Amino acid sequence: MKVFPKPLLCSVVLCTLAVAVCGQSASSEKQRQIASFEKVWTTIRDKHWQKNPGGLDWQAIHAEFYPRIVNAKSDEEALAIMREMLGRLKQTHFGIFPAAVFNDVEGESGGDGSPGIETRVLDGQAVVTEVDGSSSAEKAGVKLGWVVESVSGKPLAPVIQKLKSDPDIHELALERAVQARLTGMVGDTIAVVFLDGSNARVARELVLAPERGQAARFGNLPPMHVYFESKKIGNTGYVRFNMFLDLVRVMSNFADAVEGCMQCDGLIVDLRGNPGGIGGMAMGMAGWLVDKPDQRLGTMYMRDATLNFVINPRAQVFEGPVAVLVDGSSASTSEIFAEGLKDLGRARVFGTKTAAAALPSIFERLPNGDGFQYATANYISEGGKALEGIGVTPDVEVKLTRESLLAGHDAVLDAALEWIRKKK
Amino acid sequence: MTRSYLLAASLSLASFAFAQTEALPKAETILDRYIEVTGGKAAYEKRKNEVTTGTIEAKAQGLKGSITRYSAEPAEEYSVVDIEGVGKIQEGIIKGMAWYKDPMLGPRIKSGAEKAQALREGTFNSPLHWRELNSKVETVGTEVIDGELCYKVVLTPIEAPAETMYFQKKSGLAVKTTTVAVSPMGEAPVEMVASDYKNMGGVVVPTKMTEKLAGQEITITLQDVKTNQTIPADRFEPPAEIKALLNKAADKKP
Repeated sequence: MKVFPKPLLCSVVLCTLAVAVCGQSASSEKQRQIASFEKVWTTIRDKHWQKNPGGLDWQAIHAEFYPRIVNAKSDEEALAIMREMLGRLKQTHFGIFPAAVFNDVEGESGGDGSPGIETRVLDGQAVVTEVDGSSSAEKAGVKLGWVVESVSGKPLAPVIQKLKSDPDIHELALERAVQARLTGMVGDTIAVVFLDGSNARVARELVLAPERGQAARFGNLPPMHVYFESKKIGNTGYVRFNMFLDLVRVMSNFADAVEGCMQCDGLIVDLRGNPGGIGGMAMGMAGWLVDKPDQRLGTMYMRDATLNFVINPRAQVFEGPVAVLVDGSSASTSEIFAEGLKDLGRARVFGTKTAAAALPSIFERLPNGDGFQYATANYISEGGKALEGIGVTPDVEVKLTRESLLAGHDAVLDAALEWIRKKK
Repeated sequence: MTRSYLLAASLSLASFAFAQTEALPKAETILDRYIEVTGGKAAYEKRKNEVTTGTIEAKAQGLKGSITRYSAEPAEEYSVVDIEGVGKIQEGIIKGMAWYKDPMLGPRIKSGAEKAQALREGTFNSPLHWRELNSKVETVGTEVIDGELCYKVVLTPIEAPAETMYFQKKSGLAVKTTTVAVSPMGEAPVEMVASDYKNMGGVVVPTKMTEKLAGQEITITLQDVKTNQTIPADRFEPPAEIKALLNKAADKKP
């Protein structure tokens, strides 16, 4: 009998969307504070990728901070103490969000119904960047570049302002918070007030339909809707998918797209808004684009193992120019893919700086209601760069603007197409 | 059965160094005894091929699937692990060439230490062949695992990483193996424990095996082992993607 295939086991390890929310109850504020402190401290002790987290004597950290938590006079003081403790790590992706902020990020609606629009926060406004064909938004005449001013009577500006002012909230969480307000139960209707191209208020009733794509499951993760889009723009291939999930279908579709584009002038992989997923998929996709053997996208360091993100070149690979499009919502596996190919000199990256959230990190609810984020591995790209907290800096910085969207242009895509045209 | 040595038993809830009070038996004696207690040389030699079926589960991740494996003398193999949400992971060995293919990482030809480990693990009736498969075997101590005294034997292969196996003194069965898993993604320590030994396919094998690697735990449960089956000749042929890689490599040779 064979043992379990190691590469698959590794891929399970690399599933970077493991989000767990747990709740516990405690009988008093003080008990909740102490229970939350212990949860944070033991989680770092048991799950940090270093046996001595951050090179610290973690037991001594407990001895130092525990008495302070016991004597904390309020939840705010307890939060500050726990944040100070995590700050000793001097590592990103370790944070505690006050319950109110965590609730802001999560939204209130629940459900996975969508009106069929995607938004990005541009200059402090939630701007429509995509309208799905045949969605209620499309039927209601919603256009690219419109601003979402309020949803169900609640203005978005205060939420955006509040989250943008919190240094622990990165762009990915901000986008998630906005998108959460645009979702709800399938079949429900939400009242959305937009600002149109001339900044006139336009009210629309939008019916929520199932999200774009197919519901996909991966182990214990909740079902998520995954879409894959592939087309040719002139003689340039273009692929876009919203997550590195639905492994079999997305990998198969990616293979078909590349195989059908071997004679293309170039290939564009659009990872804007893609929060990542199964890390190993980045290696598999790179195998269609890199012909040289023994190349790596980078290395992931965990407590018990070190995983090289090795590329297996396919029998036939695409040898033309490759452009990767990213933005502040491109995270995790998207960053691994983009920076890895950039480091290897195999792709040119267009867009804006990525989320700087490459590590497999987990969000949990603490006993006191606060949100706790922690990472379980460290990742170094092939060029020796720690992506965490730094992100991928594009070769060509191009920002989406409301004006260009209103004019029907995708400035980032246009820049990539122009580069490929010149390379021809 | 292939890799019986590597699939060792129940979780070591309390293992610790055991004070030496008697001379340790030679590793050769322990390995030969394993052959005897699992059926004997003659029973192994009657087996020319086998078809194994079972299940696989990574409980913490919520992943489940099936396993089917064909293997034959001297070292031919084809296995497929089919996991929901992950797809079919295939591996094989034919005429000394070891390969791997899955929907995520794609196809590849194994080489170096990974190939050596695959060929070692793919040797049919491997318990019978410990002399050919290892350059050195040595009993290095004892440990108590689940209340049972075990001999700790280090097997050093010619190429692949060393394996440390734990054989119960009382039963002679292997209950745990530790080694290093080798793949292009790197080397990682792996622990394999086995339990529920049963007679399947003419010899006694562990029917429950748990592997731990990089903090993850996988459980494999054997359901059936059929021996001396009529296996189609092309069963061990590699898939087209592997053949294409072989052709590509051949084309690149000067």
